Amino acid sequence: MKFRKKLLWFIVPAFLIYSGFMLIPLILSMRVSFYEFSGIGDMAFIGFDNFYRLLFEAPYNERFFNAVGNTFEFFAYTMVFQNVTALLLALALTRGLKMTGFFRTVIFIPVTLSLLMIGFVWSIMLNPNIGVLNEILSAIGLENWTRAWLGSESLALPTVALVNAWQYTGLMVMLFVAGIQSIPEEQFESAKIDGANAWSVFKDIILPPLVPVIGIVTIMTYMGVFNQFDLVYAMVGSTGGPNYAVDVLGTFFYRTAFGGAGGQMPQMGLGATIATMTFLFIAFAIGAFLYLSHVRKKGEN
Amino acid sequence: MGQIDLIDISKSYDKQKNVLDEINLSIEEGEFFVLVGPSGSGKSTLLRMIAGLEDITSGTLKISDKIVNHLPPKDRNLSMVFQNYALYPHLSVEQNILFGLGAKKVNKKEQQKRLAETAEMMGLSELLNRKPKELSGGQKQRVALARSVVSEAPLCLMDEPLSNLDAKLRAQMRIEIRRLQKRLGLTMVYVTHDQVEAMTMGDRIMVLNDGKIQQVGKPITLYNEPENLFVASFIGSPKMNMGKAVYSMNQNQLVIEDTLRIAQGPDMDDIPGNIDLTVGIRAEHLLPGTAENTTHHLEAVNVEQLGNETLIAFDVGSTLWMAKWLGQWDVQVGEMVPVHIDSGNFCFFDSNTGLLIKSANFVKEQEVVSI
Repeated sequence: MKFRKKLLWFIVPAFLIYSGFMLIPLILSMRVSFYEFSGIGDMAFIGFDNFYRLLFEAPYNERFFNAVGNTFEFFAYTMVFQNVTALLLALALTRGLKMTGFFRTVIFIPVTLSLLMIGFVWSIMLNPNIGVLNEILSAIGLENWTRAWLGSESLALPTVALVNAWQYTGLMVMLFVAGIQSIPEEQFESAKIDGANAWSVFKDIILPPLVPVIGIVTIMTYMGVFNQFDLVYAMVGSTGGPNYAVDVLGTFFYRTAFGGAGGQMPQMGLGATIATMTFLFIAFAIGAFLYLSHVRKKGEN
Repeated sequence: MGQIDLIDISKSYDKQKNVLDEINLSIEEGEFFVLVGPSGSGKSTLLRMIAGLEDITSGTLKISDKIVNHLPPKDRNLSMVFQNYALYPHLSVEQNILFGLGAKKVNKKEQQKRLAETAEMMGLSELLNRKPKELSGGQKQRVALARSVVSEAPLCLMDEPLSNLDAKLRAQMRIEIRRLQKRLGLTMVYVTHDQVEAMTMGDRIMVLNDGKIQQVGKPITLYNEPENLFVASFIGSPKMNMGKAVYSMNQNQLVIEDTLRIAQGPDMDDIPGNIDLTVGIRAEHLLPGTAENTTHHLEAVNVEQLGNETLIAFDVGSTLWMAKWLGQWDVQVGEMVPVHIDSGNFCFFDSNTGLLIKSANFVKEQEVVSI
């Protein structure tokens, strides 16, 4: 027991760095949410006023709940566009085609590209008048499928989510592929001899060991979406798209804290409040994830 | 219903080197047939080709007189047991056993009936609700066997199923598998690298080396009359003692490894004198010499007491010869031990081709005794 206590000392250097660069800034930021602060000048302590304002006062609460709703919507679209696609691709690459270096590279390249470049290039491609997407649709006779992709209230969010999914699918494919490849080939051969159909093989042989990977993919997606700012900003600007349709917590924070394009005053205090709420959303989800993982591990033993 | 014919079967992965070379073989219905050979000999590949898990590069494969080269595994009416058992970790023992039946759409009542019978037969009735990770090695093996049995396929393929078990369990499972096969009348094709398993389990065995058939036949035939040097040294434990032999100048002595001189006897008359010879003699034929029949004295360099027998190693020229004597003999290392070597117990091989010229002739008088 004494030896273990001594081991704790080895954690001290890492803990100091962690505290200095992560823990303390986090706490200080959260502290700002209790103040009225424009970013420069004086800070006035106002207790929970910012929180009250965010949750109950118009127009702040409208914007806030809109942003929260949009973020969850973004998450849902991403889960489908990105992760379901990734699973299907991973299955195709490992159980279907031979996994060639070509496919691996092609699928993974978007992950390596700069976010701003992606946002910028895609927003040009999606331009209703000069953009490539609508041109192609017209050229193959689907003219009435052309849209103002980023300009339409109903389409803007799914469109941005789709571009985000396009970028990160490759990463999730890699995780799924690693998971599937760790299944011993003998199990598949035994199923072949039994004559099991593809669905049965997927349900009983592939899916069960993949559950932890699905968990990791989900929590990574969740965290990524709640931190989302760059892509939305690059594609529709800090105003959050047409009528705030793409306004996620990240862009809402940016606008509030630093002042918006419409000449809004910067409000650091309120911004910090939004950041704190975002942190709580993420922390809660991670807590739930860790708890569920722990329960599952215990169940296995 | 379960008879297998392999006609000129060859396999290569890169069109350059053949992993299996023109294998011709017929396995009879209800036979326990063992494919044995060292690692890389092609035995697992051959088994997997029968199963349909590997493509056949050239040649014809027939099961029950039907050409099956392009038939997928599930249509070949066979079952397979894998070396690492291939149990599905997230299904219970019961679900593992019934998996194949579910895939084949056997009706539920029939499934339960077969499950009950098989679980009883394999001693698994108490373990049906456990998951594979809660089972011991032997239990996992029995679940894998149960999966095969429950499919009621007439042909069963086994790929080194006992390799992951300890020696005692292996000896026990050998008997269980053999009894199971006899009881159900299955045609079984069994792959192993262990020659003891081959000898004790097979009705007929086939020794493979480097993709080529070395010999096919009853285990005892391969033991007594090995067709070439490879089979002679592969089958039998301890290995058959081998040595290079030349006739002495005046042709009435055989000199083995420049050390042992054997007087020429009538059994050596038909051996050509002008080829390179290798002789072989089994450990149990290096007999302890009595006052009357000692032919040589050899220096013991190692003695192993097993309780029921004693193994003594002798230096013979550049090789080590092992003698196996029944009982507990008090031999010390360094002692000059009297032995009796009879040239009638020698197998003669051509050193260059490796082929048998003449087998130990006492065998012919001493055919396996029937009661």
